[in-house]
Amino acid sequence: MNVKKFFNPRNILILFGVGIALVIPLIFKAGQYTMLLMTTVLLYAILASAWNIIGGMAGQLDLAAAAYLGLGAFTTGTLLIRWNITPWVGMIIGGLVATLLAMLIGFPLFGFKVKELWYALSSSALVVVMQSLFMMWNEVGGPTEKYLPVGTSPWYSLRFNDYMPYYYIMLIILVVVLLVNRWIRYSKLGYSLLALGEDEDAVEVLGVNSQSSKLKALAIYSFICGVVGGIFASIYGYVHPAFFDTSMSMEIAILGIVGGMGFIYGPALAAIVMVSFREVLRASLGSQLAGLYLAVYAIILIVVALYQPRGIAPLVERGIKKAQTYFVELTRGRRADIKSS
Amino acid sequence: MKDRKFSTVLLTLALIFVLFAGACAPAAPAAPEAPEAPAAPTAKALPDEIVVGVVQPLTGSFAVFGKEGQIGAELAIKHINEAGGIKSMGGKKLRIVVEDAGGTADSAKLATESMISKNRPVAILGEYISRFVMAASEVTDREKVILIADALVPQITQMGRQYLFRPGPTATNHGAMAYQFVKETAAAAGVEVTSLAILNEDSANGRANSLGATEAALKDKISIVTTLEYPYDITDATQIVQQLEKANPDVIIHTPYFNDAIVFGKAFKETGYYPKFIAGAGACGYVDPASIAALGDAAEGISMTFSYNPAKDTPQNKKFVDEYKATYGYIPTEGAGMNYYGAMVLYEALEYAGTNFPDDPLNPDNLRASFLALDLTSGPAVETYPSNQIKFSPTGDNLFPGVVVLQVQNGQPVVVYPADGAEAKPVFPNPYYVAK
Repeated sequence: MNVKKFFNPRNILILFGVGIALVIPLIFKAGQYTMLLMTTVLLYAILASAWNIIGGMAGQLDLAAAAYLGLGAFTTGTLLIRWNITPWVGMIIGGLVATLLAMLIGFPLFGFKVKELWYALSSSALVVVMQSLFMMWNEVGGPTEKYLPVGTSPWYSLRFNDYMPYYYIMLIILVVVLLVNRWIRYSKLGYSLLALGEDEDAVEVLGVNSQSSKLKALAIYSFICGVVGGIFASIYGYVHPAFFDTSMSMEIAILGIVGGMGFIYGPALAAIVMVSFREVLRASLGSQLAGLYLAVYAIILIVVALYQPRGIAPLVERGIKKAQTYFVELTRGRRADIKSS
Repeated sequence: MKDRKFSTVLLTLALIFVLFAGACAPAAPAAPEAPEAPAAPTAKALPDEIVVGVVQPLTGSFAVFGKEGQIGAELAIKHINEAGGIKSMGGKKLRIVVEDAGGTADSAKLATESMISKNRPVAILGEYISRFVMAASEVTDREKVILIADALVPQITQMGRQYLFRPGPTATNHGAMAYQFVKETAAAAGVEVTSLAILNEDSANGRANSLGATEAALKDKISIVTTLEYPYDITDATQIVQQLEKANPDVIIHTPYFNDAIVFGKAFKETGYYPKFIAGAGACGYVDPASIAALGDAAEGISMTFSYNPAKDTPQNKKFVDEYKATYGYIPTEGAGMNYYGAMVLYEALEYAGTNFPDDPLNPDNLRASFLALDLTSGPAVETYPSNQIKFSPTGDNLFPGVVVLQVQNGQPVVVYPADGAEAKPVFPNPYYVAK
């Protein structure tokens, strides 16, 4: 690898971010609250980054994240409760089950060219359908919470008494999801997806199989959501049909859009900024005037939608470009100084 | 073009999101100004004030109940301080800190962590929803903070939590009481009840209520002709009412959530089908002022079980009800009542700890021991509690759970059962139905 090329401002920034994320809990000796908050932020960052593949790149306004997350949670939880299968295996199976569902839904949807708002509505309905189904399916779901046992080994049952392990698991998954994003972005699939997001008919004419490209994107996205669902269940210690949460699905799509459609790091960045901001608002304003924090949160979203409709990533991108030119000019300037002297 | 499209979509999503999340947020009076968190107490020295946490869903779909719970706890703490604080600890005052649990389990867990890390309360009151309590009690047990829960679902005390106490009755108690009320009232009126229909919304709470009623009825060998479950957000109940009509029970025991009670009340009226009596269970719907206003005469004669008795004739309860009514314009019900006596139970436990563990009364294990040692038959907690004794089992449930029954009579909810705490006699069978 070209070392000089690798250490450009962008990569330095990314490495810096990951480095900070790695040591934050150790440096600040963060309390349980902060750790849970950061874990939650990472959870949203992962989901928003996964959404980026189907929403940002392929341009499908998917609102079913919570359906896949919930399915992953129930698979992991049920395997642990009934057969004492470790969530490490459970969450992979959960991811696969979520993918299976996504394929069952995606195949006809994309086959019949359901798109844009109609796709949004169908995927949103999936969350509601799943909630109702699991509410009725008493063996697995049902209205009473199913409690995940702690067991003898926290590493086996993935049930820790503090959030540090969850945080690092989430961090690893986020890095993997970002790398997957990057890999897709610069692969043939990525170019097809981006083109699809722009103009599906034109892409079809050029000989790209839009259905299979979209299905691949949907499969990767739903798999990630399913896996994360398994950890979600472990953190909260139970499974319940309320995991199939329409507003959570919507929030993930919002984060994806606010972050910047199709930008690799945009949704993760949006999640980090917005979710921590929302929590700060809830914790500080929540007991003062109920609901105020949601109003403030919404106003911020509206401001972003009005003034930065392409999301916050392009803004950061511009900043990086400026820094780059400054960097280049600085070195050039120096050379000029040397020459003149 | 694309930009504009997405900004429109984003705007729409943002608005829907806010509508969803904030739908039920009531206008809240400002919580008392919380001063800086006190420094961690040095070994065994008492802090200047004893901090009590309230974590309730103040936004989201459960906000109405959470808000009431907060008010109940605040009034209780105010009354405890006015009466001289914790006397066994030299009159130490209590200070309340409030946090919003939001509408989901993850925000409830975050709120509990945040409450403990910032304020380090000796006890937390609330959380109301069983899955919130489930998520939060993992935190309170780890941090050894007493959690005084106001959720009715029986399962929350069956997970082996050490620091969880529930002074109120369980949902199963509610269901059993609804049946017992029907049985005794019918016998007193000389009306025969041989068959029941059990109806509930499909939450853990609804199901536990129905289970309690079913168990109690089966003990008496009453035949249960049908059991029906429906989603709480049901919008049309005609079909279910027709099913009930076909089954033709003498009495229906119904556990609604809130809005569904109105949907059912209207469906009964529209179809014109009436059993001898409809007995509600589970403390939601039918007899609260909002439901009576929505249902009009269709609410007449329907009964409902509650975990709190606003008519209990004791000085402490009068003080609570009067002050609540003067401030908020209506009488306290379920949420406010449960948190009021929950805070009073905490008060009794603190007094006990001050007397029996003078070296370190606020130590969590001493406080836990105090809760388990309580056997109250008088005092402010019992005066506001529906039964006349409070004593905790090792799992944290009250061994003497109290449930009262209210009935809508002439458009007003009145306490009719049990007889010793009643305002009026129950009317059975439902006179409104008989007239039809």
